[in-house]
Amino acid sequence: MANALFQGKPAHTSGELPKVGSKAPDFKLTAGDLSEVTLANFKGKKKLLSIAHSLDTGVCAASTKKFNDFAKNRSDVVVLVVTADLPFAQVRFCTGEGLKNVVTLSMMRDRHFAKDYGVLLTDTPIAGLCARSTLVLDENDKVLYTQLGPELTVEPDYDKAFAVLK
Amino acid sequence: MADITHRGNPVHTSGDLPAVGSRAPDFRLTDAELKDVSLADFKGKKKLLNIFPSIDTPTCALSTRKFNEYAASHPEAVIIMVSADLPFAQKRFCTAENTNNVKTLSMMRDRHFAKDYGVLLLDGLYKGITARAIVVIDENDKVVYTELVPEIRQEPNYEAALATLM
Repeated sequence: MANALFQGKPAHTSGELPKVGSKAPDFKLTAGDLSEVTLANFKGKKKLLSIAHSLDTGVCAASTKKFNDFAKNRSDVVVLVVTADLPFAQVRFCTGEGLKNVVTLSMMRDRHFAKDYGVLLTDTPIAGLCARSTLVLDENDKVLYTQLGPELTVEPDYDKAFAVLK
Repeated sequence: MADITHRGNPVHTSGDLPAVGSRAPDFRLTDAELKDVSLADFKGKKKLLNIFPSIDTPTCALSTRKFNEYAASHPEAVIIMVSADLPFAQKRFCTAENTNNVKTLSMMRDRHFAKDYGVLLLDGLYKGITARAIVVIDENDKVVYTELVPEIRQEPNYEAALATLM
């Protein structure tokens, strides 16, 4: 269980983020075309996982745009945006905003991803969704960098995450 | 478990709708303000639950508009849209479409509602979200009408459902 803040009040997650240096847990998530996707689908690429609560909220929308800009010039990196939004909402958002460089993945079928990555919120008004987190994985799925919160309603530290991908 | 189709392909639900004449199962769902709501919050009123896969898909959107029209002139009944969409998506839709006479409730925290009402899809493209169904519940929480739409892409039978509210 990890501690963070939601609008200044204590927030708790179901577990801990994967440790830096460990192998990232595999996952099964649902893509925009409703197909199931696993970590192995992105084999051989560096991954930036932007985990957020909903693309229909301001900060998550802003961070997705920022990561989309970053991904434009980086064919060696895949940006995976993971939320509990249904794929229909994710596709609507990305189409509406013209975001083509990020891959959105949905927890529509279950919350295993959130539990396995330790980011399921167990309290706050958004209990059941993900705490805002950023992970960087290398080509071999080794965890290079993680950030959780600390305040879930502010944007992640982009520069630190991007520096790891230099 | 019930057999229905999605785009002509056989799919299965986790259970059966509550039987007509039985007491409606209680539920805990989340409203547009992220507050948890239960069946008891609508005590003493007739309730129509319009259960569907996602408000971001055409048939669900259509049915929401249709029920909103009815709700505008029938304040004595509570017309509730239930889906696995996050409250942010439900709210966005209702604001954009001005469908403010219906209430939206989300399964953002878990899928207990879907299991208790027997509408969780176990397979097919919509695995993990719900089939399309209508449940009408009287003032004393007795189930008076149900429809499990046999093909998910079809609209429900509005006339038959609304007739039971008269």
